[in-house]
Amino acid sequence: MWLTSKIKQILMVMKPGVVTLDYPNERPPVPANLRGQPVFDHQKCIGCGGCSDHCPARCILVRDVCQELRVMLYDGSRCTYCGRCADICPEKAITMSNSFEIACDQKEDITTRMELFMMTCQRCGRCYEMEKTNAIDRINLKGFRYDNLEQRALIRKTSETFDPALLKESDNYQRPSDKE
Amino acid sequence: MSKRKELEAKLIAHLRDDVVCVEKTDPRTIFIDVKRAGIREASKIITTAGARYLCSVGYDNIERDGTLGMIHTFALDDSDQFVCCRTSAPVGDPVIESITPDLPSAGWSEREVTDLLGLRFAGHPKPKKLVLADDWPDGIYPLRKDVPHNFVPKGAEDVAYELDEAPPGTKIVPVGPFHPSLHEPEHFAVYVDGETIKGCDYRGFMTHRGIEKLCTTQISYNEVPFIAERICGICGSVHATAFSQAVESAAGLVIPRRAEFIRTMMLEFERIHSNLLWLGVAGHLIGFDTVFMQAWRVREQIMWLCERLTGNRKTYGMILVGGVRRDITPEIADDIRRVMKNIEDDLTIIHRAIEKDTSIHKRTKGVGTITKQQALDWSLVGPVARARGVDIDARRDHPYAAYDEMKFEVPVLDSCDVWATLVIRVVETFEAIKIVRQCLDKMPGGEFFVEMKDKIPAQRHAITVVEAPRGESVHYVITGEDNRPERWRVRAPTFPNLQAVPLMLLDEQFGDFPIIMGSIDPCFSCTDRVAVVDLQTGQSSSITKAELDALSRRAQSPSHSLQTMLRG
Ligand code: SF4
Ligand code: SF4
Repeated sequence: MWLTSKIKQILMVMKPGVVTLDYPNERPPVPANLRGQPVFDHQKCIGCGGCSDHCPARCILVRDVCQELRVMLYDGSRCTYCGRCADICPEKAITMSNSFEIACDQKEDITTRMELFMMTCQRCGRCYEMEKTNAIDRINLKGFRYDNLEQRALIRKTSETFDPALLKESDNYQRPSDKE
Repeated sequence: MSKRKELEAKLIAHLRDDVVCVEKTDPRTIFIDVKRAGIREASKIITTAGARYLCSVGYDNIERDGTLGMIHTFALDDSDQFVCCRTSAPVGDPVIESITPDLPSAGWSEREVTDLLGLRFAGHPKPKKLVLADDWPDGIYPLRKDVPHNFVPKGAEDVAYELDEAPPGTKIVPVGPFHPSLHEPEHFAVYVDGETIKGCDYRGFMTHRGIEKLCTTQISYNEVPFIAERICGICGSVHATAFSQAVESAAGLVIPRRAEFIRTMMLEFERIHSNLLWLGVAGHLIGFDTVFMQAWRVREQIMWLCERLTGNRKTYGMILVGGVRRDITPEIADDIRRVMKNIEDDLTIIHRAIEKDTSIHKRTKGVGTITKQQALDWSLVGPVARARGVDIDARRDHPYAAYDEMKFEVPVLDSCDVWATLVIRVVETFEAIKIVRQCLDKMPGGEFFVEMKDKIPAQRHAITVVEAPRGESVHYVITGEDNRPERWRVRAPTFPNLQAVPLMLLDEQFGDFPIIMGSIDPCFSCTDRVAVVDLQTGQSSSITKAELDALSRRAQSPSHSLQTMLRG
């Protein structure tokens, strides 16, 4: 029994032979609909903040530095490549590209930063339709956001009209820590 | 008489006024509210009525009525029903009678609730810390609503977990916190007499990531599946499906049939890859690396298939509340058929080559034995239970997704050892391939996602089970305001199975420890999902926390300078 099993095992190993790929010299083709690094198109983005609201990793940050200027920051170091942002975006401004070899030394290399000039709507402060038909996909946060880009932290305090006090407050935000 | 009426009659006969109400709304789930004095009696009545204990859920209800809630959940496997027995205790006097003396597998659930919510259990045989770090400050209960999700307490030096007293005449062999034969951090103190194991104590929960807390405070319903998926690197779709089903059931949302078929298929892909992975690991643990290499070679095909289908090798991101994200096109269906054929052929070759191998038999037959009765007492689940003659499978007993239309065998063996587990997992892989094929053949057309028209009402309870490759996962959801669950409890299959490991190890050889441990396919991160990270276990270590911090800070310094650059 032992011997026949061993013979079968030898055959089992011989038939496929070596299957290990000679990566990185040999690169298998990337499937067409891979969920790789998300790429933002600043021409299309209207700055609605939907992606930021629905990113499970909370790595898309929105900071309104004044009424007219909104800075958006995508922090690739925390991204899980789930593609939720691309699903949510009403303008198709986000594409899940097929690039996945994105290990790097510098966080900045996988950070995307967009500065958007915003129009102001007299009625709501922000002027776009973001009425998702799916009730659980609606935006939870209000129009103006004050995330801390330096700490890369999403701050859940938002306001309907631009609030310089909140902006200032978020400047001093520190990540929680047990260090003195 | 229906099970519900029968139970209600029995409860009222025994407990009279202690029974507050028996809900009749949901045909599948029986919610029973009892006063806290009657909880132990009620759980006894429910188990004697033939119910199998699943898990317990604690929740914070302080803001609403000043109480801490506790739910013991059970499954009635022959009538496809769940029983949730709810009770509560005022926060000023948070004591409830323990059910662990009757149901040993409730031990951990209750200890977890004590740690996380501060609800204590009178008569618990081992009321030690389970989940929280040893230096976690007393009186702070992280799952209570008033504790912020990002609360970081000050750590303390030199606090150690008190291991159980070693039986006389034994020596302690520590396995862990990091050990080459286990792939995640956990600590077993194994008490040995010579080479024979006489007992063991477990201190785990070192990989808490606070997932439940995070998902009930920070993100919204449809982001939870993506985090749920990351509870476990192996059975991601299982957790995402279970969560989505629970929310759908609470919201009364019916998803398209096609979506249910695609979910079924994803779950079976996961079973194939997980079983092959486990087969490889089991081979590796008994020093048979040929099996390891070959099983993983075969497995790679399914990883690539999933990459083509979902966009990722793992963490498929396919499941959302309301359906699935990507459809199965005719091209990908052909692809799936081809890959299934290849895997079936390759696995048959492996199976033939190892089934009669005496060296595998010697390492696995008669190892890790516990009796069927013990397996029932400890509520074991999955292949570990089925290898001990316990005939349970959530796919058949509590059909979800499209399993009601699938035809498949549930292999059950009664040799009660690791070998039986191995055989079952191989057979289940073949069954999974059969299910995938049936899905492709029977899949109806139409939509694969449905949107939620209205907000999900708060304070609805729902429970679901999903059969993961390693056993059944239980998810309990209480819906909340703010578009997110108020409480979400995940009970991964390792949670009950791990509790029975000391029993499996008893009187075995120390050299068999890795394979016995490995036979339950432990997933510590699933089990540990709850609270806050702290790796200090206080084991006599030669490095202090301060030194460790200093070390890790040095390692981080490049990014530090980067941050300074950024600011500049
Ligand atoms: S891919 Fe997912 S994790 Fe990454 S930015 Fe988009 S939503 Fe966030
Ligand atoms: S969802 Fe799209 S349009 Fe809205 S902020 Fe994000 S990228 Fe811009």
